[in-house]
Amino acid sequence: MQTMNRYVPYIFLAPAIGLLLFFVAVPMGQICYYSFLHYSFFHEHVFAGFDNYRRLFSDSNFWWTLLNSFVYVLVTPVLMALSLLLALTVRRALRGATVFRLVYFIPVVTPIVIVGIIWRWMFAEETGIVNYIFSLVSLPSVKWLSQYPTNIISIMILTVWRGIGYYMMMFLAGLAVIPKEIEEAGRIDGANAYQHTAHILLPMLRPTLTLVFVISSTAAIKMFTELYIMIPGAPIANKTLVALLYRQAFERFDLGYGSAVGMVLFAATLAFSYVNVRLMERAS
Amino acid sequence: MKYLRTISLYSVMTVFGLFALLPFVWLVSTSFKGAEELFSFPPVLWPKKFVLQNYTGVWNAVPFLAYTLNSIIIAAASVVLNVTLASLAGFALARYRFKGRNLIFLFVLATMMAPKEVTIIPLYTTILKMHLADTLIGVVLPFAVEGFAIFLMRQAFLAIPKEIEEAAVLDGVSPLRLWWSVMLPMTTPAIATLTIFTFIGAWGDFLWPLVVLKSPEHYTLQVGLSYMIGTFVDNYRYVAAGAVLAVIPVIVVFAAMQKHFERGVFSGANK
Repeated sequence: MQTMNRYVPYIFLAPAIGLLLFFVAVPMGQICYYSFLHYSFFHEHVFAGFDNYRRLFSDSNFWWTLLNSFVYVLVTPVLMALSLLLALTVRRALRGATVFRLVYFIPVVTPIVIVGIIWRWMFAEETGIVNYIFSLVSLPSVKWLSQYPTNIISIMILTVWRGIGYYMMMFLAGLAVIPKEIEEAGRIDGANAYQHTAHILLPMLRPTLTLVFVISSTAAIKMFTELYIMIPGAPIANKTLVALLYRQAFERFDLGYGSAVGMVLFAATLAFSYVNVRLMERAS
Repeated sequence: MKYLRTISLYSVMTVFGLFALLPFVWLVSTSFKGAEELFSFPPVLWPKKFVLQNYTGVWNAVPFLAYTLNSIIIAAASVVLNVTLASLAGFALARYRFKGRNLIFLFVLATMMAPKEVTIIPLYTTILKMHLADTLIGVVLPFAVEGFAIFLMRQAFLAIPKEIEEAAVLDGVSPLRLWWSVMLPMTTPAIATLTIFTFIGAWGDFLWPLVVLKSPEHYTLQVGLSYMIGTFVDNYRYVAAGAVLAVIPVIVVFAAMQKHFERGVFSGANK
């Protein structure tokens, strides 16, 4: 019995760890390997050295998609400011706050394809409600989806709309763990609402701010579905790294080149998380 | 003064609330519009005549029943597999001391750093070699257990007091029964959180099913809707009706389990 028990944890872990090895660890190695191959579904693969990377770095589409992926990260400060404002508001108001929280969360749980479809219609140039509202206040009609970089801004608006509830909830969690005494001390000292927020709450929220920053900006770098649904016809130079990867690998069947894009994407997400954490640490 | 503050608090909340809801009003109203109101300008936010025909038509225009069943199968299988495998692994990591435990836990954490989007190319070649391309199993299998799920369950098992386990061990309970009958029932909040996160994630997943599924009768709702919006450019009333039907399950599940979802966000879960 005792000797059997020694193997129990390994037996319990085997299925999960086996799957993670096979479907996460091995593919990470494979994509690195593929990025050095000429590889398509139809041909035997041959070693390519740095060919894929050389092609990638001389491809203007690559630089545009890389740039766009980083431009989407600019949505993060806006998203953080709005969701923090909402969190500070919601936690004050008691009556009915639960209903409001439910409402703010509906966009978060709605599948991204459906979100994209709705906003594609709302941003439609001729028939969309956004341009209609613009016309009511005599603003000119805008080509929300067919013009670069306006289409990036449109998709950012969608990202903000969808993300506010989620990050609000994370800020509420961060606010909930701030000790009551610290808050009350500020109040007794006669700090006004602004001073209270800026000098007492924000410094205490730093861990949450870091977390939200990392999650929101790495999500922005990996953007794909929104573009696939909202601007399917736009040139690849208007899109992101994941869109380039999808097109090269699954529409042109150039797996080696697609894998090189994947490696850059991976490096970008890693570097971004690292830099983010570092910046937030230094600021503290 | 107090009144003024209350009014300003509630007006901020209302503005955000309207911003969150307006797109859904637009979606639902579109799904009830007849052909003549669809493209009218100024846009009609509330149809004069409610038409139910879009909701009946969508089932005939595309294999919508198949989309729905496929989505249900994929979401259910993902939930059952993730909860079972992650709670077994999390139990072992939290409750046993053994060689390599820290290394295995570090490995689990490291897998959370690998974005899905990066690995889809090798995952697809693997699924091809396993003859699982264009199958629902091919969609579910690579994500049958995720690092985050194991992490969440490990934390839940860590929080259970030692005495309970010791009493059961003294009674001579086997490890499998200890896990299933004694420990697992004490982690129900974590299981609820994991269930709702996995369900919403699998229901809304798009990129991987899009890559794997090729024949229309194997599409999920999300892949089917994206196919419809490309095809029915002139008749998106069907798409709207389909989108409303596809969003109802997530909103129902979410409203029923809101508390558990919030706890998941609190623990830093992200999809």
